Amino acid sequence: MAYWEMVFYWVALVFYSLACGGFLYSFIFKNPGFMPKMTKLFALGFVAHTIAIIARFNATGHLPWSGHYEYALMGGWFVLGGTLWVGWRNKELQGLAIATLPLVIIMMGYGYLQNPGLTPKAASLKTIWLFIHVYFAWLAFSAYSLAMAVGVIYLKKTKDALQEVKNESLERFPSLERLDELLFRFIVFGFVTDTIMMAAGSLWAKNLWGGYWNWDPVETWSLISWLTYGLLIHLRVTFGWREKRLAWLAIAALSTVIICFFGVNLVVNTSLHMFQVR
Amino acid sequence: MLKKIIKQLSSLRFTIVLICLLGVMFILGLWVPQKDLLRDIYYQWKQSSPRLVFWLDFFQLTSVYTSWLTLSFWFSFFTNLSLVLWQRIPVVRKRIEISPARIAPPETAPGYPFRESYLLPDGMDGAALMKAISTRGYRLIGSEAGFYGVKNRLSPIAFGLFHISFYLILLGGLISFYSQFIGYVDLAQGEQFQGELYQYNSKPYPQLPKIGKIPQASFTIKSIVPHVVRNTPTGIDVTLVDKAGQSHIVDINQPYTDGPSSFVFRHLGVAPLFVLKDATGKELGGSFFKIDVVGGKEDIVRIGDVTFKVHYYPDYELKNGRHGTKSMEFNNPVFILIGEQGGKKIGEGTLKKNGTLAMGDYRLELRDVPYWVRFYVVKQHGLPIVYLGFAIASIAVIWRLIFFRRELVGALREENGVRRLVVAGRSEYYKNLAIDEFRKLFGEIFKNRS
Repeated sequence: MAYWEMVFYWVALVFYSLACGGFLYSFIFKNPGFMPKMTKLFALGFVAHTIAIIARFNATGHLPWSGHYEYALMGGWFVLGGTLWVGWRNKELQGLAIATLPLVIIMMGYGYLQNPGLTPKAASLKTIWLFIHVYFAWLAFSAYSLAMAVGVIYLKKTKDALQEVKNESLERFPSLERLDELLFRFIVFGFVTDTIMMAAGSLWAKNLWGGYWNWDPVETWSLISWLTYGLLIHLRVTFGWREKRLAWLAIAALSTVIICFFGVNLVVNTSLHMFQVR
Repeated sequence: MLKKIIKQLSSLRFTIVLICLLGVMFILGLWVPQKDLLRDIYYQWKQSSPRLVFWLDFFQLTSVYTSWLTLSFWFSFFTNLSLVLWQRIPVVRKRIEISPARIAPPETAPGYPFRESYLLPDGMDGAALMKAISTRGYRLIGSEAGFYGVKNRLSPIAFGLFHISFYLILLGGLISFYSQFIGYVDLAQGEQFQGELYQYNSKPYPQLPKIGKIPQASFTIKSIVPHVVRNTPTGIDVTLVDKAGQSHIVDINQPYTDGPSSFVFRHLGVAPLFVLKDATGKELGGSFFKIDVVGGKEDIVRIGDVTFKVHYYPDYELKNGRHGTKSMEFNNPVFILIGEQGGKKIGEGTLKKNGTLAMGDYRLELRDVPYWVRFYVVKQHGLPIVYLGFAIASIAVIWRLIFFRRELVGALREENGVRRLVVAGRSEYYKNLAIDEFRKLFGEIFKNRS
């Protein structure tokens, strides 16, 4: 890790952890007024996170694209960037960070324990397809994570609706009907970017490995993940699966994406997606 | 009976079941080592657990992606898809149809969750209003007395396009499968490749095409220059000259292509020129040996009845009496050789380019150390169709899911000399979010005029 990268990585983690604690406080103690303050703290952490990425770029000469640490660094940035952007566009959704922040904190902690060393850009990553493939992969991850976050809030809010005394922090979110549609919208956006990611990856694979489809473990999981979300869309559009069922599915389906990004390379050392930078 | 079977085969429930079954097969493929993908691991496993592997082989679980079960799921999937598509054609045609029958009174039109009434501002007549709506992407029919508008009318066609892309990918995949040649060829600097079958590595033996010929490419390797920074390969420049005398650079991510054939860089090795001499200086033998020692592996070189175990250190250092390499950079390449004759060790030592190593009665000279590269040679004819499928799938999924249909019915009503627009709207997929969208749309239209 570059010096300033390490400094800002930790600053970001500290800010994220404090903001996460603040959001939790806000939910548990039913204090919605705390949320905008925590969003500001979270945004400060995001600035530090961005500086850490710039510092790493400055040290290596390339964006962090590969290896578990860089997945965590860049993936976390996309997920939280998406959360901030959504919260900025719609103040009612600022609290989605309650679900995405813990996910990213765990990712970043795990990434730090893996391979944060500075490595030059591997030859296998020197292609324009990298930018398209990885950019859309992170967009998909971000959208699916937001769908998961909406799912969590939806379920909490459904439960809260049965209580006599309502949790004002949950009341801050849009209505259940709107949350249900937002969840589907995030899934749709993720599915679109996921499709582009897979098509771009196949074109890249032809040049790098000689075949557009190699049944590589990461490829296979990404197909499983794509099929899962495709299925989810069909269930919603054709069979009218929505509300609690869709929320649970959105939460469960994110596991396929996490396995794809982190799980496969952790348990399988034959994946072509190692790029020699495990 | 037949109708019942067709109904079952064409149901979306069946699609979902098939997708789940395919997903299970893919997961099995990740869990059980596949013999075509992980050959070495598979054979090791077969040796250690022959009974288990026998049964897994029997049920084709070690070649799960091409097993009869998976293929029959795929066959069922495409049969189901064809039937679903066939049934959907009239539905899609009806949905994209634009006819006056769609004009309905906005106050009572069923299925429109958005209903609003707006005062027509001064200076805005019906024609200006209709124009304002149509400039926002709505195709309108009717008049101010009653109109119907639709945005992204043709979006349902994208549903068909998306699924047709699956057939293109399947077709391209099938053509590729039957026309496919796959082979590996190891070529050293200065070596010529003429496209002959014997030049390919025998292990694994080339996969010959069921239809068509093997690649006809012919070229000479002019130079091989690997680039490594510390332990990360950052590139390789393989210059080859084709039969027309034209130079081509092959790098990682940049294969040499000749029509449908690709030569993809896969592996780097060294091909040292070893010459063995006896004590009098008489040459006993020698040659370039393509050995696979880069990355710490051991290889064997045989000259006459002398066998050498060879290790290679690209950035050699002797640390605490141990041979090692500072990095994978080719800064100080050194070979470590252990010579054996008749099963007995005759000596060992290090050898650099232009150096000599004495071993018993022999002297081994290293005159040159060029590199060799392994190309993965693949020839497939169906790729453009596969790529077309990918492009259509991407475009169609964006079109269908992002540019979905929005519909409006509206009419201008006059009451006590005041003109009002009464409008109802709906969109695919979303109800509440669409209400926001319509509010914004009409907010803009009327705000701009006020």
